[in-house]
Amino acid sequence: MEKEILEHGFNFNRRRFLSRLSLGLGSAALGSLMIPDLFGKNNADEEGLTPGIPHFAPKAKRVIYLFQNGAPSQQELFDYKPKLRELLGQEIPPSVRGTQRLTGMTANQASFPLVGSFVDFKQYGQSRAWVSDLFPHTAKIVDDLCIIKSMYTEAINHDPALTFLQTGSQQGNRPSMGSWLSYGLGNENKNLPNFTVLLSRGIGNGQGVYSKLWSNGFLDSIHQGVQFSKGEDPVLYLRDPEGMDRHARRDMLDNLAELNDLAYQEFGDPEITAKVKQYEMAYRMQTAVPEVMDLSKEPDDIIKLYGPDCLVPGTFAANCLLARKLSENGVRFVQLYHQGWDQHGNLPFEIARQAKDVDQASAALVTDLKQRGLLDETLVIWGGEFGRTSYTQGKLTADNYGRDHHPRCFTIWMAGGGIKPGMVYGETDELGYNIAQNPVHVHDFQATVLHQLGLNHEKLIFKHLGRRYRLTDVSGKVVRDILA
Amino acid sequence: MTKKVKSLAEQALFASAIFILFLLLFESKIVVPTWMQPVGRMHPLFLHFPIVILLLAMAMEMFRFNSSYATNEFYRGFLSNLLLVGVLSAAVTVVMGLFLSKEEGYSGDMLQWHKWSGVSLFYLSCLIYWSRNQAWYQATVAKSGAILAVFFLIGAGHYGAVLTHGDNFITGPITNTNAEPVALDQALVYDHVIQPIFQQKCISCHNPDKLKGELNLADVDAILKGGKSGKLFKAGLPDQSLLLQRIHLPAEEKKHMPPTGKTQLTSDEITLLALWVKSKPDFKKKVVDLPPTDSLRRIAAVLFKPAEQTEEVYDFDAADEETVKKLNNDYRTVAYLAKESPALAVNLYNRSIYSVEKLQELSEIKQQVVSLNLNKMPVKDADLKTVAQFENLQKLDLNFTDISGQGLKELAGLKHLNSLTLSGTKVTYADLQKQIGDFKSLKTVSLWETKLTIPEIQQLQKANKNIAFIAGFKDDGKDPITLNPPQVKNSSMIFDKPVALQLNHPIKGVQIRFTTDGTEPDSIHSPVFNNQTILTDMTTIKARAFKDGWFGSSLATFDFYKSTYKPDSVALLLPLNRVHQAEGAKSLFDHKLGTFNANSPAWANNWTGVRNNDMVLMAEYKKPVTVSSVALRIMVEEATGIFPPGSVEIWGGDSRDKLKLLSTVKPKMPVKGETHELKNVTCTFKPQTVTYLKIVAKPCTLPEWHGGKGKPGLVLVDEMFIN
Repeated sequence: MEKEILEHGFNFNRRRFLSRLSLGLGSAALGSLMIPDLFGKNNADEEGLTPGIPHFAPKAKRVIYLFQNGAPSQQELFDYKPKLRELLGQEIPPSVRGTQRLTGMTANQASFPLVGSFVDFKQYGQSRAWVSDLFPHTAKIVDDLCIIKSMYTEAINHDPALTFLQTGSQQGNRPSMGSWLSYGLGNENKNLPNFTVLLSRGIGNGQGVYSKLWSNGFLDSIHQGVQFSKGEDPVLYLRDPEGMDRHARRDMLDNLAELNDLAYQEFGDPEITAKVKQYEMAYRMQTAVPEVMDLSKEPDDIIKLYGPDCLVPGTFAANCLLARKLSENGVRFVQLYHQGWDQHGNLPFEIARQAKDVDQASAALVTDLKQRGLLDETLVIWGGEFGRTSYTQGKLTADNYGRDHHPRCFTIWMAGGGIKPGMVYGETDELGYNIAQNPVHVHDFQATVLHQLGLNHEKLIFKHLGRRYRLTDVSGKVVRDILA
Repeated sequence: MTKKVKSLAEQALFASAIFILFLLLFESKIVVPTWMQPVGRMHPLFLHFPIVILLLAMAMEMFRFNSSYATNEFYRGFLSNLLLVGVLSAAVTVVMGLFLSKEEGYSGDMLQWHKWSGVSLFYLSCLIYWSRNQAWYQATVAKSGAILAVFFLIGAGHYGAVLTHGDNFITGPITNTNAEPVALDQALVYDHVIQPIFQQKCISCHNPDKLKGELNLADVDAILKGGKSGKLFKAGLPDQSLLLQRIHLPAEEKKHMPPTGKTQLTSDEITLLALWVKSKPDFKKKVVDLPPTDSLRRIAAVLFKPAEQTEEVYDFDAADEETVKKLNNDYRTVAYLAKESPALAVNLYNRSIYSVEKLQELSEIKQQVVSLNLNKMPVKDADLKTVAQFENLQKLDLNFTDISGQGLKELAGLKHLNSLTLSGTKVTYADLQKQIGDFKSLKTVSLWETKLTIPEIQQLQKANKNIAFIAGFKDDGKDPITLNPPQVKNSSMIFDKPVALQLNHPIKGVQIRFTTDGTEPDSIHSPVFNNQTILTDMTTIKARAFKDGWFGSSLATFDFYKSTYKPDSVALLLPLNRVHQAEGAKSLFDHKLGTFNANSPAWANNWTGVRNNDMVLMAEYKKPVTVSSVALRIMVEEATGIFPPGSVEIWGGDSRDKLKLLSTVKPKMPVKGETHELKNVTCTFKPQTVTYLKIVAKPCTLPEWHGGKGKPGLVLVDEMFIN
């Protein structure tokens, strides 16, 4: 026994203590070398996120994203480049084009003649922002908008660019922006999904949208975007089966809940309670959704404001009106996609129609939110996935041309939600090909959107497959200059 | 060490002691020749030898008189030699140091401390070396001498390091991060943008102690004074300013700043310095005083945290979490404004469930509620008394509630209320005019879709300048817009029996006028649609919508097709194109029309097609039918080679084998440049009773002018109508 006690004493002698200590200190030091934040204050876990509560007081409570799918040409809408008209037909200087990768559609084009906008621009509002004649209604509200002319992205094709803008990664399988917000902010109205999606399509050359764009990725499935369609059943599978009335439904759900409860008692699987919650939400949606979808009570002024198409289900105007109604009812993120902006050819004809489809309703949405006192707390975003080239794709004729994809600069606008109104941010060079001032990367944009909703994009994280994921991946800076 | 070498070394030591003394005495008179400068510059390299050797030697010296070491020959010999080498190296270092200090840029207190502590160390070490074998040199003396030497050693080392790296070099990374970051709105251009660059990249050499180039960047006066080569900058002219010239010199140039080996300026930092000089350096200006478009401001802005977040501080405590949880239910959301904020936002949903109790139940959190959303709830004037209990309420949404203006006085006591929305309520001008002045902190009121007229709202605005009244959009009829065209509500455009025409328009009170004769309807003469129209035959309806205050809609055209006899079975006798299969033969009678859309490829869109062989369809009826026409609906698009069939033949009879030709039609061919269209090819013939019908469509040969001349044209058919 004595021996053991002695041995024990040896085990804890000073030398051993010191050597162990040094090992411990050494590994701690090594650890902090490899993971800089190990002992820092920025440890995300420490400050962690309580899902459902913003990190700081938000400026905006909700987002409406008017996504212009296919990439509207900035040269014909917001980015006024008189120089392009002057240089009509001249080759774009190689120094301007640099090493920009081209799409398969123009990579083999022998010449790249510059082409200016077929449509004129004028300055509007106190901000004196340039807006093309294709957007007469948008022009009237420029003082409510923050037009960002210096957005840029990394992808040159629709799907990766769209996925990048929506999920922060080109490859997909990540949660969409709306899902992140749902995860970060929680429900405002428990009777409607937190993230809804509305689709519409213009006459122009279109590109697909797919449900992966509103996927919850690795987040809980309750954060998935719910598509509202134009038909009789805006939300699929929500309607009671024929012959079942609401009371029968209630009874059924009650009984089912009892059975589920028994199963839960037995197995303790949290998915069971989650399922019960989803049934209950669907039940509540059965009354909430028809109320939201009902446009018949909208006053005449609203119809004049949005344009008569707002009563034709499935149009962009109707979706804008619906977006306002959903947002007003506490839906955190309403995502619209309007297809048809991919003008590789026949641009003058197609873009005019596209612009007409969206101009009035986009402007109306901002005005409508404003007159309800909701614009302060609702962030409206308008824009596509990238821009279009300053040179023509295909043949340049007297009245026709096209433009290919261009990731180096494009224009979006934001309104409300604590974004500075009446501002034009960023500049492109005089050929509208490169950014001359204040570039805004897609991740910067995403960081800014999250920031307005009270979320720190570096802390809105989710650990999945051993890695912490963010909407902004590993970069992104809040664009402070455009914050009101 | 042999005796000879040792004595040589000792003599060298003595000589250097004298030499150093000489250098010190005549310091001011000495000029170090250029070729000697490299020797001086080796000071920072060489100094590490005496540090290490002397440190070890002094440690050994301390224990020299320990009984066990005192008699150890090796210990004694080694120590003696070590000490000698150490002192000698110290001598060399001191000489080098004195040379180096003669170069430009070394002066100030720090240098003096360094010099004298180094010199002291040297002489003390010499003294120890020479007297350590004296009788009076015993343990105590040895220990105190060694300790004193180490003390000087540390001193010299420390001051030397401060000279080279600047103050706070070691603790810098820690102390800097702890510094309170400056908010953008408080940041000064010089103090918080420019000075930090100097601090990080320049001041280790250009400080009052180490005046390289006689330049001191530590304080404003010195900066304005400039250095040996003159003024640092010409205000407004970065190109002609020494500061930027030096920065922009190529890195290998001797005068390039910061010198190679030191941390270089980033391009942002260079731009900032250039912009600062350009802006005529000012030492007091705030960053936010610059115009928002100013480049300096833009670049600098990222260095700071945003203008102090107006994160509101509330003087009430957070409500109990359990209470908050309890008050949450399906139709009432009670949510914290933010993490660690005591403030709560409450939203109510579902009209049919609302009652004032829903608000009364919130009395436990009446202090904490700062935002209340009652949008579209049937809130009565009396309920506003309950709303008034939320003493810290800042934002109240009463849009489309049932309140009248009279109840508003209840809310006047809400000291913090700054946003009130009253759109779609029954408030009147009189109510507001009387009461709105009592709302002390109110900033915005929305009044859209109320009884107030625009002039009344303007009146209110004039009387209450600190409140923004939002009037919103009101149609004044001055700017009519165009109606959208009517829509057709019939479930199918193909019918077999007479069917009622169903036209519709989403906007109430719209008049739909239409024609059946192919002319365009107008707003005066054309018949008004009244749900009484019955379609009996193939008809093209042209319709427009009209309403007062709107421009008439554009024209809508609807083609109705009659298809009386649907075959009981159909089969294609020759194959279809691989990509134009649709649903095979049956898609020609499925009452689904293909559409023309550039984005819907024909093969995915009800179109059956042939190019390399005829389209031959055999239709069979169980009972004989009398037919007199067969129509094929086709697509024509000259540009893509989609052409009408060259000819269409209709064969009929009682049995499969005995069919006779009933009709042959050669459709009109398109001309070059014609736009695409969808049209019918109709074959009419004498009424004929048949059980079998064979329909043959032969692709044409593309004409001379066409790009694919000589090849067969593509025939696309989506539906056939047999009458």
